[in-house]
Amino acid sequence: MLARSLLRVPNRAIARQSLGKSTRASSTAAGAESASSPFHLTLTASLATAAAAGSAAWYYHLYGQEAFASTPAEEGLHPTQYPWVHQRFNKTFDHAALRRGFQVYREVCASCHSLTRVPWRSFVGVMHTVDEMKTMAEENEYDTEPNDQGDIEQRPGKLSDYIPAPYKNDEAARAANAGALPPDLSLIVKGRHGGCDYIFNLLTGYPDEAPAGAAVAEGMNFNPYFPGTGIAMGRVLFDGVVEYEDGTPATTSQMAKDVVEFLNWAAEPEMDDRKKMGVKAIAVLSGLFAISVWVKRYKWAPIKSRKIVYSPPYWTPPLNMMAEWPV
Amino acid sequence: MGFTDFFTDVVSSLGFSEAQAEAPAADVETSSTPQDEPAEKTEEATEESESAEETPSEESSEEAPEEEEAAAEEEEEEEEEEEEEEDEPEDIKPKLEEDCANSAKCAPYKHHYDECVERVTRQEEEGDDFKGVKEDCVEEFFHLTHCATACAAPKLWRELK
Repeated sequence: MLARSLLRVPNRAIARQSLGKSTRASSTAAGAESASSPFHLTLTASLATAAAAGSAAWYYHLYGQEAFASTPAEEGLHPTQYPWVHQRFNKTFDHAALRRGFQVYREVCASCHSLTRVPWRSFVGVMHTVDEMKTMAEENEYDTEPNDQGDIEQRPGKLSDYIPAPYKNDEAARAANAGALPPDLSLIVKGRHGGCDYIFNLLTGYPDEAPAGAAVAEGMNFNPYFPGTGIAMGRVLFDGVVEYEDGTPATTSQMAKDVVEFLNWAAEPEMDDRKKMGVKAIAVLSGLFAISVWVKRYKWAPIKSRKIVYSPPYWTPPLNMMAEWPV
Repeated sequence: MGFTDFFTDVVSSLGFSEAQAEAPAADVETSSTPQDEPAEKTEEATEESESAEETPSEESSEEAPEEEEAAAEEEEEEEEEEEEEEDEPEDIKPKLEEDCANSAKCAPYKHHYDECVERVTRQEEEGDDFKGVKEDCVEEFFHLTHCATACAAPKLWRELK
């Protein structure tokens, strides 16, 4: 009913436009008929519309929304976004901050967390000199290749070695940390939702005491940003834990900021070069695009501006038609 | 001077700093510090000479050593305080967030959280007598913390290096 009444209107309108004056009388007659449509038609149409809209809303209410079973505590507090300078498209890492961040990693994080995918050589020219990194690498011992007797000896580290892990394997790490495995930090910024913001918030977000009524398990610490709010890692960054060699005041948030920027470098050491390449690519490609536009317009100019004109030749009628031609 | 050098120059003018493999020469700082130290020493020397001139003019010679000791103690205390300040720089993040939590912007969240804490502590005090749904203030805490940290974030980044 509703559909028919809806369909009738455009049909009538088309008919009125296409037909001439001769059919005006019949079309006006139809208009008069629809203007006085019976009440039961209006009622049915309204009810059908309400039923359709209502069932659609009910269906959306049932199945349309995303199923979300976690409580806010299980989900964890979403990290606050901080205006990181190094994340802007035209900014590089602050390499002084990277150097401070590596100092924080070495003095605080490295006792539990490994950084196994980063070799000593990758620091050279980024935040340390060759000699500094050589001495740092030599402080650690690595296995040699088997010698003539098949024994494996120890040798001091070289630049090509990777940063040694604090524990021999994951099981040893779990055993030393009451069953909790400290994750490897090489790619942690890429490996966590929220990236830099999440880690900064996690490091600085330990409240003085857990909110009233919150359940904190034995041996766990309350951290709102960790999913489930119970984290095995305690707060490690306190004011003045590290003494920076460049004299920066080592507050908790300053250390957290530096170490997060360092971890971002560990996960994305190519970031500076990538942004540099991006600027080069945009410069070159926009130049080439401008040239290609100019070439196209240059080549098409004669084609676009030409004018095709047909001028018929003067036509004289044949002689046998001259008598009939009324010239 | 090829055509590609033009693009290289443009890129280098954008302020991407070059990474240096070798340590930069630090002659300037080392040369300046020894010059400052003698100046301080001379100042100290003049102060000592002044105090030495003052002491004989005083009639009671017994008081003079006591004063010197007191002055020395004061100096030591000042040095200790300075050392403490240097050792433990104070973080401004908790203060900024507390100010933000008390601001008008976060007032509703603060109100809800305080109310929840009051309610839950009352429940805990009642202990076994309390019959009802046990609740915690984690959600209220989240809302308050989110508001406070989001408000403090730009202020904190202005202060940090």
